[in-house]
Amino acid sequence: MTDIIVFFIGASLLLYVLLGGSDYGAGIIELLPAGTFREKQKHVINEAMGPVWEANHMWLILIVVILFVAFPTIFTTLMIALHLPMLALLVGIVVRGTAFTFRHYDAIQEPRSQRAYTLLFGVSSLWTSFWLGIIVASLNRGTINLEAATFWDAYIAPWWGVYPLSVGLFVASIFAFLAGVYLISETDDAALQRRFTRHAAVFNALVIVSGGLVFAASFIERESLPSRFFRTPSTIAAMALATLLFVVLWRVIPKRNALLTRVVAGGQVALILLGWWLLYAPDAVHTVQGPLNFYQEAAPHATMLQLVIALLVGSLFIFPSLFFLLRVFKSKQHPSGD
Amino acid sequence: MDNLIAARATMGFSLGFHIIFAAIGMVMPLLMSAAHYLFLKKKDPAYLELTKMWLKGVAIFFAVGAVSGTVLSFELGLLWPGFMKHAGPIIGMPFSWEGTAFFLEAVAIGLFLYGWKRMKPWVHWCTGLTVGISGFVSGIFVVAANGWMNAPAGFDWIDGAAHNVDPVKAMFNRAWLHETIHMQLAALQAVGFAVAGIHAFLYLRGRAQALNLKAIKIALVFGASAAIAQPFAGHFAGQRVAELQPAKLAALEGHFKTGPRAPLYIGGIPDEDTQTMRWGIPLPGMLSFIAFNDVDAVVAGLDQVPREDWPHVAIVHVSFQIMVAIGMVMALSGVLFFVFLKRRIFPHWYLCLLVLFIPLGMIAIEAGWIVTEVGRQPWIIHGIMRTKDAVTPVPGMVYHFYLFLVLYLLLWCVTGWLFHRQIQAVQKKFEDVP
Repeated sequence: MTDIIVFFIGASLLLYVLLGGSDYGAGIIELLPAGTFREKQKHVINEAMGPVWEANHMWLILIVVILFVAFPTIFTTLMIALHLPMLALLVGIVVRGTAFTFRHYDAIQEPRSQRAYTLLFGVSSLWTSFWLGIIVASLNRGTINLEAATFWDAYIAPWWGVYPLSVGLFVASIFAFLAGVYLISETDDAALQRRFTRHAAVFNALVIVSGGLVFAASFIERESLPSRFFRTPSTIAAMALATLLFVVLWRVIPKRNALLTRVVAGGQVALILLGWWLLYAPDAVHTVQGPLNFYQEAAPHATMLQLVIALLVGSLFIFPSLFFLLRVFKSKQHPSGD
Repeated sequence: MDNLIAARATMGFSLGFHIIFAAIGMVMPLLMSAAHYLFLKKKDPAYLELTKMWLKGVAIFFAVGAVSGTVLSFELGLLWPGFMKHAGPIIGMPFSWEGTAFFLEAVAIGLFLYGWKRMKPWVHWCTGLTVGISGFVSGIFVVAANGWMNAPAGFDWIDGAAHNVDPVKAMFNRAWLHETIHMQLAALQAVGFAVAGIHAFLYLRGRAQALNLKAIKIALVFGASAAIAQPFAGHFAGQRVAELQPAKLAALEGHFKTGPRAPLYIGGIPDEDTQTMRWGIPLPGMLSFIAFNDVDAVVAGLDQVPREDWPHVAIVHVSFQIMVAIGMVMALSGVLFFVFLKRRIFPHWYLCLLVLFIPLGMIAIEAGWIVTEVGRQPWIIHGIMRTKDAVTPVPGMVYHFYLFLVLYLLLWCVTGWLFHRQIQAVQKKFEDVP
């Protein structure tokens, strides 16, 4: 029972990173100077994200709900120790979602307010993905301490340091990279395609650089990451494969095959996530007092059963409808009118 | 402000903000689908115009509702970890179904908003209807979870921990039915009247009167029906509260002393110290009737409840009075709507009244929500766990409160401004249409 639920958390996380991540990345890309491409780029991003961003955002809510239903201690531990980064994340989520929607549905479209929406959307996308990275990094450092005596030890130390910071950068780079790759095939304009390709390349480089930074910082700050990494061959294999796929990716991109490009880039990110997951599973969170394990912290059996039923029945509704959504919007023949 | 008060203020403010957008996000898609249906049936372009006008509102309010709902799902843990640690597994079931319904809604809204030229018209219409229905259903699930806090069920509380958890029993607790009926009707009537009021305003300004009249009719078919049904639903809710939470009932009526022929007060401010009602007009026996269908029935007063277990009587009573007063006025104008609909003429004064009523339903929702939440205090889980034992150990909640206060007030202003621009655009578009 717990296996199924943990699988759903993992799958939701992956889908959130891939789908929601591309939406964050689109915001980050809009922060870059775009010159004469600004309007066109905005249009492409509106068309690409508009129909799907609410659905993509749902994966995060699903993770939160599964956590508090099935693993309440893990949920409350995180919400106490990581209160401040969670707050930062929430502010980002609120600003980002509303700025994006307001930009599109403002009844009077004029340059000044449109620029303001775009700026807010971009800054909050970067901000949110950055804090998402900090939260993810803090899960397994072993610095969470619910019995700490001082404010610093209890609420700041768990996420403070260069290592979480660099994971924040890493996550933001991954998101922007995903968005770059994704957006290439969302437009027929060759010049804009070249721009998105260039963005994908730059952020590809940033992913590698910030990934190196994560590793370096974890060495310097004596995190558990490096020693675990070298003890976990499956993670090493996943990371190596993800890196190798970069070579494949840049051979695939010029072929302009939307599906193949996305599968390769998505596969890379999935491998990175899998590698990270394998480092710690089945421990979800590491505290000063010891790890919190999915299996030991699981809710009573009756609850887990009901949750599995809800998740499976829910999937019967959600996956076909998501499929329909993709089929409707990813077939190129009609423009969407609204 | 101490930590508990700050946490309560934050939760109250976040929910008070979200409830408005959730209600609009739940009901507007239904109105929109109705207009869309009429367009597809009658091929009258005015209905298409209406559908597209309302669609913009749906998109904006849905987005704000979705993000403020996300905030709430986090805040359950950020503010009330002591509660969630025990309650999460017990009331997880409505939350997981709510998640499913909301997910479906998010997919459907993408399809509807952007799918005009990509689907067959009736398939497209179905996606819009799915937004409405799944939104409505997810509202029911959330309120069912709140019902559990008022009438906890589905577990045994032994030594400060829940045992023998039964999520199905917890979801279908004794409060879920009356709370969901009451809330969903309230959303329908508040949004129906607000939308009708806005179109009455445009009508009175002399813009596109035929179109605005159609809008008023659609909105009020929903709004007025709900408003007429609401007093009955409220009566049912009152009886359940009398049975489940006598302290809450006593507080909302300002009923201090146990006794038969309990009076119902119109107006009045209860004074907790002297345990009397000031300036209220008593209707003898009416409270007994409302609670037990019998004017001579004995109704337990606050004197049956230890003083430390009293909610804030004045807040609860005044909010209750506001809610009931608005409900009665709206029910009456709901009846009038059907009378005028039958006569096929809406008098000028009625349309002016509708404009005045724009905020009324929302005020009643807020008041009713204060009644149920403040009325449950000092408990977070009625009779099981006190709110003060559930609050987060993180200090400085007051800053958390200020942060969301500023953020949400800004969001209110921007949404209001967008709304104003929307009305401006509509007026401009129909400048020459009588």
